[in-house]
Amino acid sequence: MPGLGASPGVAHSRTRLTDWLIWFAVLALATLAMLALRTHLDKAHVALVYLLVILGASGAGGRLLGLSVVAAAFVMFNLLFLPPYYTLAISNPLDWLVLVTFLVTSVVAAQLLYRARREAQEAQDRAAEVDRLATLGAETLNAPDAHDGLRQIVEVIRSTLGVDECDVFERDAELARPTASARLSRASSALTPVRTGEGSLVGWILQSGSRAEELVDGTVRLSEDGKLRADVRALAIPLLVRGATVGVLRVASAEGLRQPPEWRRLLDALAYYAALGVERVRLTTQAEQAEAERRLEALRSALLTSVSHDLRTPLTTIKGLAHEIEQGGSTDSASVIGMEVDRLNALIGDMLELSRIQAGAVRPMVVVDTADDLVGAALQGASSVLRGRDVVIDAPTDELLSGRFAFTESLRVLVNLLENAAKYSPPGSPIVVRVRRDADWLSLSVLDRGPGVPLAERDRIFEPFYRPTGTPSDVGGTGLGLSIARGLAEAQGGHLWFEPRDGGGSVFVLELPSATIPDDDNDSGDDEGDIH
Amino acid sequence: MTAPPLTMLVIDDEPQIRRVVRNALLSASFGAAEDPEQPKVRVLEAATGTEGVDLAASELPDLIVLDLGLPDQTGLAVCREIRRWSAAPILVLSARHADTEKAALLDAGADDYMTKPFSTVELLARVRAQLRRARQVSEAKAPAERVVLGSITVDLALRRVQREGEVVHLTPTEWALLRTFLLSPRKTLTHRQLFTAVWGNSEGDAQQYLRVYVGHLRRKIEDDPIRPRFLQTEPGVGYRFEPDAVAEA
Repeated sequence: MPGLGASPGVAHSRTRLTDWLIWFAVLALATLAMLALRTHLDKAHVALVYLLVILGASGAGGRLLGLSVVAAAFVMFNLLFLPPYYTLAISNPLDWLVLVTFLVTSVVAAQLLYRARREAQEAQDRAAEVDRLATLGAETLNAPDAHDGLRQIVEVIRSTLGVDECDVFERDAELARPTASARLSRASSALTPVRTGEGSLVGWILQSGSRAEELVDGTVRLSEDGKLRADVRALAIPLLVRGATVGVLRVASAEGLRQPPEWRRLLDALAYYAALGVERVRLTTQAEQAEAERRLEALRSALLTSVSHDLRTPLTTIKGLAHEIEQGGSTDSASVIGMEVDRLNALIGDMLELSRIQAGAVRPMVVVDTADDLVGAALQGASSVLRGRDVVIDAPTDELLSGRFAFTESLRVLVNLLENAAKYSPPGSPIVVRVRRDADWLSLSVLDRGPGVPLAERDRIFEPFYRPTGTPSDVGGTGLGLSIARGLAEAQGGHLWFEPRDGGGSVFVLELPSATIPDDDNDSGDDEGDIH
Repeated sequence: MTAPPLTMLVIDDEPQIRRVVRNALLSASFGAAEDPEQPKVRVLEAATGTEGVDLAASELPDLIVLDLGLPDQTGLAVCREIRRWSAAPILVLSARHADTEKAALLDAGADDYMTKPFSTVELLARVRAQLRRARQVSEAKAPAERVVLGSITVDLALRRVQREGEVVHLTPTEWALLRTFLLSPRKTLTHRQLFTAVWGNSEGDAQQYLRVYVGHLRRKIEDDPIRPRFLQTEPGVGYRFEPDAVAEA
């Protein structure tokens, strides 16, 4: 049967015009054929042929077409095949029996066929729905990222329900902004974005667990089940998991929501998946937070162990020396106190910096700046340890290289690399600072002829309190330098890594996003160009 | 003739820090090196911001040392209040190391800042530099017509820069920057102050490249732009023009 698979939702399917044309043509042809053979035909033959046409029309075109064909066949049977011909009058009373029997049989057959077809269609629809829900369920659980999963669910809900907008708000999240949204692209201008006032509506739904409707005129009211209104623009329903409200689902269409009963049922079923998706997001967030806290705790205990040692050692020295001075001892002790204070100050600074990085509190101010400035400031910042060292700058002289980076953070990284190079390489060997730029990156490398880093320890050197094996204890430093440096490099979108140097030694590369500078548009002007 | 006494105000809520600063200031000499007659130093102390503002108003000190961690009001507010009616140099002490804070303070009118812990040697050096600058500002308002920076000669009236007699081409932006630096020697100019000096209050695309323009300027007037003598970088805060580097060279 041709029309069956093509028209979903039998109850509302409109029989296509072609179906009408075809079946009335068939009816006409059958009538003409029988008219030609009328003398050889019995009434029963006519009734059977018509019945066949009626069954075909009902099956293919639906109830309305079926009944229309019944009516037409009934009239033609009467006019053309029951004497007297061409009038509605019937001479033989027994013919009435034939006609009425024909009518009842036809109507019942058309109705039965229609019902069977509708049930088949409904079964098919339901199978498709189950299929969709099963896919949605699989997506909910399968998406590697819980947020992605929720986004997919929201998009499926939007397309399945045929609405313009679908938003999910998560409990405990910022209510003014949905956790996940889907928009029909053409509707972007038709509906205003969720207004801030609705944030409180969402909050209210979370608290009360009721549904709310937004009407076309913008007013909001409680949704009454069973009472359908045509002017509903948006519907917000609570998302429940095991009786607890975990969020709110909002669907909206610019032209208003049509809400037939199946639509409502589908909405409820889909809402449950959205609820599961929200729940999963919430659990994942909790797990991530727990993991972050666990790592922070591990770091904190490592810090505490090291801190109690590294802080107390200089304090002990200072206290001892102060006592010596009090007793009238040599004033040389005073300079040692000064050095110990510097050490303490450096350690406190590093610990604060590391905890800021670990807590994600570093918000580097990224600007366009030059490599010249950065290298110059780093040489100055590390000048005390570089005194007497040969530092070679290997940078293109004909071009001013620039990048997008945070100056003080990058400076800190570079100073740290220079200090390490000075600390770990033999005093007579030069330290090279190499500056290069390609399309995307500005790289600043510090090269030394120190012992390098063994292969196995190349990642560990960036961990807090790591010191290479065999480091003499008087080498100084807090053991936090490289982990801070990497944290600062990454906080501004850059990278920091180690490479072995050809011929022995280390290369530490700080890579920062490069910047392209437009020509100074004033440059074309005259020397005496107007400035004021 | 005896030099007039120097009055200095220390605003800090920590008595120990006040003691250290007071002792350092009282033991130092602040006159010109060749002057045998050193001015007397008087140190006033305030433990709160309000007390500090009152003392600054009544005693008109020559220099103010201001701690940021005051109990009653922020150091920034005190700085702004004093700067409304006093031109005395303000040297700020801070325990925090945030560069944004430094820049905000300089924008509010502070002249210099130091982070704790600091050495008294450095404190005295900064105090001397500020006093010297204040004296120069009051003595000579008009800047020199010609400024010599190493092998570079800048003629402010003719707007010409020459290196050993040869004209160095500067763009208008570079010239505006150079002029701003020359007018404020030894003073840290924040990025914001430089924006305003070169571009006024207008917002523009060019401003984000301020640091690049300074880079170009350095390449034109410095012998080694990576190790500049005249245009020094104050990391995260701004730049400072150091004409003294000439004498040391």
